[in-house]
Formats: sequence, structure tokens, C-alpha cells
Amino acid sequence: MEFLSIISPLFLFLVVGGTFVGIIFGAIPGMTATMAVAVCLPLTYSLGLENGLALLLGLYVGGISGGLVPAILLGIPGTPSSITTTFDGYPMAQKGEGEKALRIGICASFVGGIVSLLALYLAAPSLAEFAIEFSYVEKFLIILFALTVMAALSTDLLMGIFSGFLGIFISLIGVYDISDGGNGKLRLVPPGTEYWLDSGFSLLPVLIGVFGLAAILDQAELGVPKGQSRGDVKIGKGSSFSFSVFKGQTVNLLRSSGIGTFVGILPGVGGSAASILAYSQAKTFSKKSANFGKGEPTGLMASESGNNGLTGGALVPLLSLGIPGDSTTALLIGAFTLQGIQVGPLFIGNNPDTWNAMIFAMLVANIAMFAMMYFAIRYFALVVTIPKHVLFPIILMMCVIGAYTINYGIMFDVWTLLIFGLFGWLAVKLRLEIAPFIIGFILGPSAEIYFVKSLESFGTLSIFFTKSWIAMLLWVLIIGSLTASIYLSRRQAKIAATG
Amino acid sequence: MRFHRNCESRFALEEAQQIVIQWPRAAKREDLMKLTRRTLLAAASSAALLIQPVASAAQELPRNVRLVIGSTSTGGDTYQNSAIVAEALAEQLGINIKVDAVGATEAFKALGRDSRGNTLMIFHDQSYLGNLYGVTGYADPFEGYTVGQTVAINPGNAYLVGCDSPYQSMDDILTAAANGDRVRVAIQPGGVSEIGFSAMKNAASVRAPGSEENIVAVNTGSQSDKNQAMWDDLADVINGSIQANEQFTQLPADDQKCMRFVWITARPATLEQAPAAGMGNTTRDQMLQYASPATSVTLDGTQDFTFDKEFFFLYNKDMDPAIIDQVDAALTAIYDKGAIQDRQKASFFIPNFLPADEARQHLTDKRETYAKVIEQISGGS
Repeated sequence: MEFLSIISPLFLFLVVGGTFVGIIFGAIPGMTATMAVAVCLPLTYSLGLENGLALLLGLYVGGISGGLVPAILLGIPGTPSSITTTFDGYPMAQKGEGEKALRIGICASFVGGIVSLLALYLAAPSLAEFAIEFSYVEKFLIILFALTVMAALSTDLLMGIFSGFLGIFISLIGVYDISDGGNGKLRLVPPGTEYWLDSGFSLLPVLIGVFGLAAILDQAELGVPKGQSRGDVKIGKGSSFSFSVFKGQTVNLLRSSGIGTFVGILPGVGGSAASILAYSQAKTFSKKSANFGKGEPTGLMASESGNNGLTGGALVPLLSLGIPGDSTTALLIGAFTLQGIQVGPLFIGNNPDTWNAMIFAMLVANIAMFAMMYFAIRYFALVVTIPKHVLFPIILMMCVIGAYTINYGIMFDVWTLLIFGLFGWLAVKLRLEIAPFIIGFILGPSAEIYFVKSLESFGTLSIFFTKSWIAMLLWVLIIGSLTASIYLSRRQAKIAATG
Repeated sequence: MRFHRNCESRFALEEAQQIVIQWPRAAKREDLMKLTRRTLLAAASSAALLIQPVASAAQELPRNVRLVIGSTSTGGDTYQNSAIVAEALAEQLGINIKVDAVGATEAFKALGRDSRGNTLMIFHDQSYLGNLYGVTGYADPFEGYTVGQTVAINPGNAYLVGCDSPYQSMDDILTAAANGDRVRVAIQPGGVSEIGFSAMKNAASVRAPGSEENIVAVNTGSQSDKNQAMWDDLADVINGSIQANEQFTQLPADDQKCMRFVWITARPATLEQAPAAGMGNTTRDQMLQYASPATSVTLDGTQDFTFDKEFFFLYNKDMDPAIIDQVDAALTAIYDKGAIQDRQKASFFIPNFLPADEARQHLTDKRETYAKVIEQISGGS
């Protein structure tokens, strides 16, 4: 227990302070956990390794968790991994259950964080061994599995799948980047637009545009009816929060946390896939699947436990193989390098005190996140009472600032926000479905890379079926998920038809 | 000097104002001519007065500078190096410098737009290698921009094989290629990762013409993808780095993840300076066994190919050269003090400051060497 000598008041202050700052970053649309860690990374040089990691891990946990606040209250995902939180969290807030939704989300986040932390602490090396069994083929099938949620989320199956493929198509605009092993050539870029579109459309500006700006345009079109100049949603109007809401949700919480952790340990698959997969499975197995997308707490729990499950999972390959699980943990390598420490397969064995201190920091960060958000939530929830003519310009300003800063000052990202805000507003009128569209947009690039690389490596399509037992299992899950989605869709249509 | 010029200009301006006031009285033809001449003189002087502060400001870095880098990662070596240099430069000059990880394409665009000196760039050899390999978004930095000071080297570029590999050395690999065996090398195409692969092909061609066809690239992305390619038996050799891969070389030989170095591309003189802390459990002497001359990948049959990944400044082509002189002077003072070297070494970089003119010549020569290698390989395969 020599690591206890590392735990100083400064260490605890940095974890708690980092968590607080991370929550704020996560709660502002366009600001992310990655950005919070990137901004504070240089500070770690003077703080030393353990104290620096305490700060960064606090920022990481806080940043991932804070994303649920705008997702629930404003319908704008604070981070890409909060995308599925908007599906049920925002409808709950609109029904006057904003505070309840936030508390459910926070509890689920806490469960996800703790489950993944346990997995990290107890099984990091074994999980890393398992992770390297996943080649391009299995990773493509994981992404394909996540894409099946497009069918589950569609109101109109045909239109939903079309919207999803449109999202994939638009996500592929730009250069096939050499940093992904591509050929560095442009594709799908109209002549004359190469200067702007060579890097394609960035994810976060698209996300904020489609969910944030489009909603503002929609409200602007409707206007503010007389007598509703103040926010028309009262936070206490709906049912209040009680822990009894988690009754019968143990399987959902553990499954979603497990999915989040599992996706986290696979380098390159991405955090968004974690919450999308968790949400998809929750819907498939739920008896109330028809309520998903309309304010069903089960969906909210799945999304939040899934994305916080990622936090511990993404550290598994980082600390066991020296390979970051996601973009935020990639930054943590910088903190180690700044201190002259190598991370790789020998890290845990060679640095037991640092390893224990990191686990302790993650535990404190999760507890601090829960305490800060759970008890401060009533103040967060007050945002829905702000008059819309005051709130919307502020949101718009935050969206623009967020879009501009996400890639460190690229003006085209602001144009992306505006273009996709307009697109999101028009898409609803054209009966396109936004949720499948955005899921296609998020997962499209990974699907392409893993598909192309699988074919380049193995040279035959049959490899997707014959590569390994994992591939076979994933096919069973994919087919099962699709069958369940189609069955549920037909059953709902039948119920609707019979009145 | 500047004070006198200001006085002269101010006098001319006052004179011009008097002429304007006296305009109604200047009705005669000769007065008009005199007036016109005086007016033009005064106008020119006024313009000079107005332009002068702008011109003098352009001769030095502005108060707020944006340093764009050719990487989108804020955890990678380009960002770390740039952050160290930016902090020291900002302190030395008393200005603010913000490092923005916008990536190569956006960084070149931002630099191309700003000739005032508000935007500077730091990148490494990828900037010209990308151009030599014809990657979209990479213009020739020696043509389109002004290449400036070098600041550091990352000596870690390496090639590795699995512990169960039949290849013990680069010599085994080149022999295998000469014997007709196909050797698959996992690289990220179009830059620093590929140049060592091109050198391998070139060496194979020099040793046994035609055998370079047996050394084939497996195009991957991140280091994780390259490692995975080896574990999936999709590659026989992978590009990696001392920092990222050294611990894998310490694993038991029967571990699926175990790797062995076969080639470190840095010059021996560079490795001699590399900080021991960044080498893990591998000693400097062991590292030197994988570098030239102990491990030979020939360039032309007489000398070995080596590659040091160097970080350097890039400037807008039309920017006032006085700014480059100012950065030269500031960096000279910074490197003379010596503190920056400690910070760079702590992060496994080797300080390598060269003033702009020297650096430009050095990098031009370096580019020419690699251009020949790439040309020979392109022509030969």
C-alpha cells in the first residue's frame, strides 16, 4: 500500500477539481472531455506524474459525464457519446421530468463508471489479451452490429435506413486519410470545393447543427405563443425521481456498462459506438421498446451507463499495451511521455504505485462526479425555465464557439454547423429521420476503414464469415438484432392499426 | 532613425494641411503647379507616415501568435515539441503563443493565408515527404513556404519483427527478398513511416536488382493497427518507435505480443545523444546494434541510409524576413541558456537547433537524398 503515500490533499483536490472542470466542459455543447484534457495537459509537466494523472482522469470522467446535461435539457449532445441520451432524456425534460432524467442519467453514469473501473482493476491484462483477438474483420462486424440500431430507431423502417445510409455517404466526403492507412486521395468532393471539403465535415459541428441549431430554427418557425415568454416547461411538473425507477434494471445497467467497457477496450472503435450499442440492446430486450425515443428511462440508463463504461475500458489497452482506446486516452500518453514514462505491456508491473494511484483517482472522480452532479442537479435543471428568447441566442452562441474551437480554430466548422442546422430543420419536413442519419454519420468512417482494410488484408468477402468464432458470434448478434427490430416494428404497426 | 523620419513626415503633413487651408488663395497658375507639386509631396509623406507604423510592426512578431502544427493530436510528438518551443519563445519575446493542433492540411492553409506573422507553423519531415509521395494537401514546402529553424529530433523511428519471426536482422530480410520470399512491411503510407520502407526496397534493389519487388507494403494507420497487423500475421515487419514498442521487446519470447527490433533508422550520432530514460530496459549499446553502421541498409552500395525525424519551423512565403531573423535571435538566446534542452531530453527529443539559413540548406540536402531514393524505387517498381 505504498501508493497511499502518493495520495495527498493536492492529489484529491486535483481529482475533484478536474472532475468539476470536466463536467463544465462536457455540459457546454461543442466542448468535450478530449478538449478539457488537451487544454490541461501542459499543466501536468509541473504537477508530476501522479498528480498530473489525477487532474486528467478527473477531467476525463467529468467530461464524459457532463455531456448528459445539455443532451437531456436542451436535446443537444454535449459530447458525441451522449447522442443516445438525447433520444429519451430530452423527451423526459419536455414532459417536465428534466430533474428526474438528470438524476437517472447520473446514477447510470456512476454505475457504468464503477463497473468499468472494476473491470480495469481486476482484469486489465486479460482483457487486453482478448482485445488483440479483434482484427479489422471483427471490428467491422462490431460497427455493423452498432449500425443495426438504425433499424431499431426508425419510425418508418425504409426512410430510417435510407437516412442512415445518407449519413454514411456524407461522412465519407473528403480525403481517405493516410493516417487511417488510406491512399490520401479525395472522394465524393464536388469540383471547386476541394479547399473546404478536403477534410470532410467534422463530427461535432454536424452533431450540434443537427440537434441544436435545427431545434432553434424549428422553434423560431413556430414562434413563441402569448403567455409563454418564460420557459414553458416546469421542472417539477412531471413525476419526481425515486430510486425505485431502477427496480428491474440491474440487467440493463450491467449489460450496458459491460458493452461500454468492452467497446472501450477495442482501440479505434470509438466511444459513440458504446452508447449506441448499449441503447440498441436495451431497446431490443425491453418489454417497453415501443416507448423508446419518447422518454423511456430504460433507454436513458442504457446510454449513460454505456458511455461511462467506456472510461475504464479505454484505459485497458492504454495501460496494458500502450495503445489508447479512444481520442481522450490518446492524450494521456502525452502526460506519461512528458514525465519520461513508457506505457506498454510492462507498465502495470513496473509502476504498481502509479497504477494503484490511477485506479484510486478514477474511483474518487466517479464519486465526486456523482456527488457534484446529483446534488447540484436542481440548479442545472433550472435551465429549462429560462425564457427561450434569452436561452436560444445563448445556445446559438455556445454552438458557434464550440464548433469553431473543436478543431482549434477552423472557420469551415462554423459553416458546417450552419449547413447542418439548416439540413436538420429541412430533413424533418422531408420525412428524413435524424437519429439514423446521425448514427450513420458517426459510424460511417470506421465502417469504411475496417471494411476496406479487411478486404485489403484477406482479399475475400468470405473472411467476414470465416475469420474466427468471434466473427460468427457477431453475425448471430447482428441477425438477432435485425430480426428483433423488424418484428418489433411490425408489432407496433399492428397495434397502431388495431387502435 | 525612426524618430527623425517621423519628424520629417509630420512636418510634411502639417505643411499639406496648411496648403489645404490656403487653397482659395492659390489661384495663380504657378501657384497651382507649386501647389500640385507640394500636395503630391505632402500626400506621399503622409502616406509614408501612415504606413510606417504598420511596416515597423511587420518587422517583428505580433503580440499574439498562433502556432499551427501538422498533427491533429495534442498527445503526439509534434505537439509536445511545439509546446516546449512555443513556451520558451513566448517567454523570451514577451508575447503570447498558442499551439493549435489543426493537422497538416489545415495548418498549411492557415499559414498560406497569413503573411503578417500572426500564424507560424512547426512540423517535421512529413511536410516534404508527403509532397514527394504525392499525398493530397501537401504542397512543396520549399516552394510554397519558407522553411525555417530546426528545433529537435525524435530519434525513435524503428522497424520490428515478431519474436517468432525467422528474420533476426535486416540482412536476413534483404536476403529473403533476394531469395524470392515475400516480406510484408506494415507502414502508414505517404511519409515518415514509408521512407524507411522505401529505403529497404532501395537496399534490396542495390543488393539484388529486382528483389525489391518482394518487399511489399501493408498500408495501415495508427501504431495500434501496425501492431495488430503483426499479431494477425498480416505483416512480417512493422514500422514503430522506440517509445511505443520497446516494452514489447522485453516480453517473454513465447508471448504472442513479443517483438524484436531489427532496424533503428537514426544516425548513430543521434542515438548517442538520446536520453537513456526513454530507452526503457534496452541499453544504448543494444540500440546502436540496430542502427547504422552495425545494421546496414545501404543507400547506394557505399553508404548507409539513415533517417532522423526533425522538427522545424515553416513560414508564409511573403512574410517579412525580419520576423525569421527575430525568431533566429530568440531561439539562439533560448538554446544558449540551455533549459530548453533539458525539457526536450526529458520528453525523449534531441535538441537540434539550427538557424533558419543553415536549417534550410540542411533540410534541402536531406530532401534531395530521399527524393532520389523514392525516385529510384518508383522507377524500378
